[in-house]
Amino acid sequence: MTDQASILIIDVNHARAAIIQDGLREAGHVHVRWLNETSNLLRHIADIDPDVIIIDLESPNRDVLEQMFQVSRLVKRPVAMFVDQSDATAMQDAMVAGVSAYVVDGLRKDRVKHILDMCILRFNVFSRLQDELHEAKTALADRKVIERAKGILMAAKSLSEQEAYVLMRKAAMDQKRRLAEIARAIVTAEGMLK
Amino acid sequence: MKNLRIGFIPLIDAAIPIAALECGFAEREGLEISLVRETSWANIRDKLVHGLFDASHMLAPLAVATSLGIGNAGVPLAVPFGLNANGNCITLASRLYRALEEVLGHPPQDPRQAARALKRIIDRRKLSGEPPITFGVVFPFSVHAIIVRHWLRLGGIDPYNDVQFQVVPPPFMVTNLSEGVIEGCCVGEPWNSRAVESGVGSIVVFGAEIARSAPDKVLALRDETVSAQGDAIHRLLKTYSQAARWCQDGDNHANLAHMLAQPQYLNVAPKTVMNALSGTLAINRTATRAMTDFLSFEGDNINRPDPRKARWLYAEIATGLRGTLAEDQAQKAASVFRPDIFDAATGNNSLPESADPIGLKFGPAFDSGDLQAYVDALTQVPPASDGR
Repeated sequence: MTDQASILIIDVNHARAAIIQDGLREAGHVHVRWLNETSNLLRHIADIDPDVIIIDLESPNRDVLEQMFQVSRLVKRPVAMFVDQSDATAMQDAMVAGVSAYVVDGLRKDRVKHILDMCILRFNVFSRLQDELHEAKTALADRKVIERAKGILMAAKSLSEQEAYVLMRKAAMDQKRRLAEIARAIVTAEGMLK
Repeated sequence: MKNLRIGFIPLIDAAIPIAALECGFAEREGLEISLVRETSWANIRDKLVHGLFDASHMLAPLAVATSLGIGNAGVPLAVPFGLNANGNCITLASRLYRALEEVLGHPPQDPRQAARALKRIIDRRKLSGEPPITFGVVFPFSVHAIIVRHWLRLGGIDPYNDVQFQVVPPPFMVTNLSEGVIEGCCVGEPWNSRAVESGVGSIVVFGAEIARSAPDKVLALRDETVSAQGDAIHRLLKTYSQAARWCQDGDNHANLAHMLAQPQYLNVAPKTVMNALSGTLAINRTATRAMTDFLSFEGDNINRPDPRKARWLYAEIATGLRGTLAEDQAQKAASVFRPDIFDAATGNNSLPESADPIGLKFGPAFDSGDLQAYVDALTQVPPASDGR
């Protein structure tokens, strides 16, 4: 083995795989490859022959990797799941983040730990980005529907913009619903009454 | 009471955990349950072992392997409830199935006939230097792998040298069959039916034709959960007992099919679920086969975990890894299956023990007291033996 561990990332999510690859490269790992195959995975792994395999927990392919624990004609070197018994929270963190690591025999534990920590970090960054994107999209959609509902009320009841807004907000508070839900109901009703 | 987090894989044999929640049995026992859908058995094992789940739907052999530290670090698990028997099929790629029919001159009539025909195909391929046949199974430690090995032996095929095994997650099984990565597989429903519907494969054997009461999926939890949350677990098992009876009753199958088919569970058409529940499956483009005990949720010591079954699983796992048997390991395996918890929870301790816990229909008899004799008889590649 050279001084640099070769790392294989198995992840069907292109964007996340890119974020992890970048992170590992920035941390000085130059031998990083990415695979998103769903068939004949073991053959591909045997060809690449990595020292460390990082896989996302959403992939059913994790069960394929389990086979490598046993002596297999397809795999050249013995593989084991990376389990740090001394640090149970680290393993929990990995699982909550949605990532798992497999290592070949003989690799130093602290080096793998460093790689896994980096991956956990990047997996969490990715989920946060996704959450933020989802929130931004929802906020944008909410704002649009509130504007439309305001317009409908203004026209139907000859209200000012401020009055229409106050009316909707009061309905939301009375019914303990979100303003956007009230707005959506108005838009839907208007569509049906047309 | 604490909320119980229970993991499951979207399969028909997750019926009891799902029905216990959906039918309100759990609520009536004052239990709060979150069912968490998972994508792999490795995830299920790791989340259970690391405390992210309180209990889980699990492959019976995986519960034994995890407790013995085979394929992982080794964390003692307890199995207080069996969730089903059978429900799997062996399916062959269409091309291989046609070759089987050509050898026989007609479709195979029973598992032995099919296996013998396969043996002739394997011999022919060896002579012509073709690559060996690869079978897809759902996990290294699964009843699926065990059933395929038993079936192959029926035809005098050596499961370790004449064929290869590869783990293929069920959702990828049909693709792997059609791409020729595998030429046969053993998997639960709906995946065999999917292969038949798409013309990719034909069902050649029902699992229940090989072993009548082999444990397939179980409820597993950490040993420490049993002591820490005994009361909640007892209540859970009580609801599972009710759910098992409900799931087994044919009058409820239409409801159960709709329940399981929902997007948050299996996310398939109710009709697909119904096929497996009724045990009536299209086995190829022209023929349908029915079997009453194709899949069972209750009865015949299915739910009460029998330690002899755990010893059988250990013997099969050890044989599969081509290792030697150790009595201390066998005892450790047996202690994973916990009829005591089942009895305490359900108050049902008068069940007569069946003489034969596995119900193997062919091959050597299983004597839980003499695993070595069983394994010796098993691993002698047979001149295809007679059925019992």
